[in-house]
Amino acid sequence: MSAPAPARLPRGRHHLSRDDVTRSQRERLIAATARVTAERGYEATSVADILAASGVGRESFYELFGDRRECVLVAHQAMLDDLIAKVGAAYAGEGEWVDRCRTTLAALLDWFASDPAAGRFLLVEVAAVGPEFHARFEAGFDRFVEIIDAGLPADLPDPGPLPTTSLAVGAAISRVYVEVAAGRSEHLPALLPQLTYEVLVPFLGEATARDAAFAAL
Amino acid sequence: MVSCCAEKTYAETTIADLVSRACVSRTTFYKLFSDKRDCFEAAAARCLERVGATLARAVEGCEAPAEATRRATVAGLELLAAEPELALILNGDVLGVEPRRVDRYARLAVPAVEALWARAGEPVRKHSSPGIAFGRAQLLVFHEVAAGRAERLPALVPDIVYLATAPFAGHDEGLRQARLAAASVGDGASAEAGASPDREVEALSTGGTEEGPGRAAKATSRTATAGQIS
Repeated sequence: MSAPAPARLPRGRHHLSRDDVTRSQRERLIAATARVTAERGYEATSVADILAASGVGRESFYELFGDRRECVLVAHQAMLDDLIAKVGAAYAGEGEWVDRCRTTLAALLDWFASDPAAGRFLLVEVAAVGPEFHARFEAGFDRFVEIIDAGLPADLPDPGPLPTTSLAVGAAISRVYVEVAAGRSEHLPALLPQLTYEVLVPFLGEATARDAAFAAL
Repeated sequence: MVSCCAEKTYAETTIADLVSRACVSRTTFYKLFSDKRDCFEAAAARCLERVGATLARAVEGCEAPAEATRRATVAGLELLAAEPELALILNGDVLGVEPRRVDRYARLAVPAVEALWARAGEPVRKHSSPGIAFGRAQLLVFHEVAAGRAERLPALVPDIVYLATAPFAGHDEGLRQARLAAASVGDGASAEAGASPDREVEALSTGGTEEGPGRAAKATSRTATAGQIS
């Protein structure tokens, strides 16, 4: 979600279709929900705050969403889809697997660094929506594991009983969470070599991981 | 508070829920706690104490750091499997209330594990970051619990053993300990993870004096094979 906030539509007569208008309002509401919730916290955010930040009217809001919670969950899904698309695209790129791992982690760290509010909303504030968060968390985690698993080369050493991909995703997410929660999202890209090393160790052992993670420096 | 959080998370829990669950009056509640948050902090502290005491009991009298790590892991995961609400409140709600506390447990646990290795006279050399390893472990546990699969937590024993060992003893030793642990927690964990039998035999026969936590589950066909070899 590093794109600029979606622009408001022109006032008065325009040639936009009803669908265009609805889509624009939906995008603006999603962006505003993430921004306002990240700034104020879920508990303190009201529909009025979201409306003020998005420039969308109350009536249009309730045509699109049942309530604030639904809007927050839809916004969360949209943010997660965007992150997964960017991470997935980086992983699907050209090159050796270890290089693609580094590129993938770089995409992940850049995503969180480029829009700290979106990152805070995605990882931290969503915990306040209630039990639904647990299912969201699990589904998101599993989607990352699936993407990484699908692109694993066949010639990796036998990891024995270790779920290496879960460990990799766990390392990345838990590290990012610490920084995002502490308000240091903009420093995330500097962690790339260390995180690449940590992610690769369970797959390759320390020596190979060190070469792969720090060679590019 | 603990059971309310497990059921509907801290965010959705109301004072009304708490007093009706605990069968106390609102007045009594406010005599004991200043607000919902205050009660939550007390509940979380008690849960943390409970986990800490379980881990401390598990490693009591055990000098070898790798074995102590395995024992603590098994005991910890069994406790959370039996009482998933502990993991839900400590991993989930505590972060919902104060996200910056995410590395709080790591700051408690990492020095304790470090001390295990230091006491054994092992040079405490960091092969990888214990903090990141701890974060991973926390996430893996929460992932199972959040999905309502707490009963499967003991299957994570090899993973957590690896994470707790590898930063101090290196990847190869971490992997060896994970294999030992997989064999000792029984068929479920190791079979699911699809470990190759040859390697487990190798792990078991090179394990030497380092027995697992000595559970009945050790008497598996794999152990039997290892016995024949040695």
